[in-house]
Amino acid sequence: MSRSLKKGPYVDEKLYIKVQKLSAQNMRTPIKTWARSCTIVPEFVGHTFQVHNGKNFIDVFCTEDMVGHKLGEFSLTRMFRGHTNKKEGIRTRN
Amino acid sequence: MPRIAGVDIPERKKIRYAMRYVHGIGPKAADDILAEAGIDIDKRASELNDQELSQIASIIDAGYIVEGALRRQVQQHIQRLRDIRSYRGDRHRRGLPVRGQRTKCNARTRKGRKKTVAGKKGVKTH
Repeated sequence: MSRSLKKGPYVDEKLYIKVQKLSAQNMRTPIKTWARSCTIVPEFVGHTFQVHNGKNFIDVFCTEDMVGHKLGEFSLTRMFRGHTNKKEGIRTRN
Repeated sequence: MPRIAGVDIPERKKIRYAMRYVHGIGPKAADDILAEAGIDIDKRASELNDQELSQIASIIDAGYIVEGALRRQVQQHIQRLRDIRSYRGDRHRRGLPVRGQRTKCNARTRKGRKKTVAGKKGVKTH
């Protein structure tokens, strides 16, 4: 079910303030964040975020097309490396 | 044979149902269009005169996206998800369910016919 329009998009406040500070200084340094559920708003476009995926921080560069999506959608939490080969007992792909 | 929105030629059915043969027009849209055109929904498609047909055509042109244009739009939306490298785009690329369904079993619509893997439980290998 989608979020009520009344509430507006969910944006992590601390992250939003950080972005505004950087924009005011015209800086584009990557921002480390754990706020995967934060919606990408137009102000974020052009910034790079390092979004935590539970293990590492994945670089996410926000483009105009990404507005409306969540940061977590671009920082995958699972890695599929192919199925094991029963006979050899090793991973087929690496 | 009557033609609505390009190549579609439904006939002996009632117009209300015949219109659903157009990609992008379902029960709701069909009834809405006929109400706007003031055409009896129980009329057969073959009983419509040219004026009524052109009326339907102009209403569809004005307010509905159908057939090729609709298919293209859907493809574009999927392509956008792929281009921005989102999770949903990735699922489309791999041909797996997009909306968080389980894939341990089922999900055959997206994954296609079963591919039997030798050595897996229950499969006899000789």
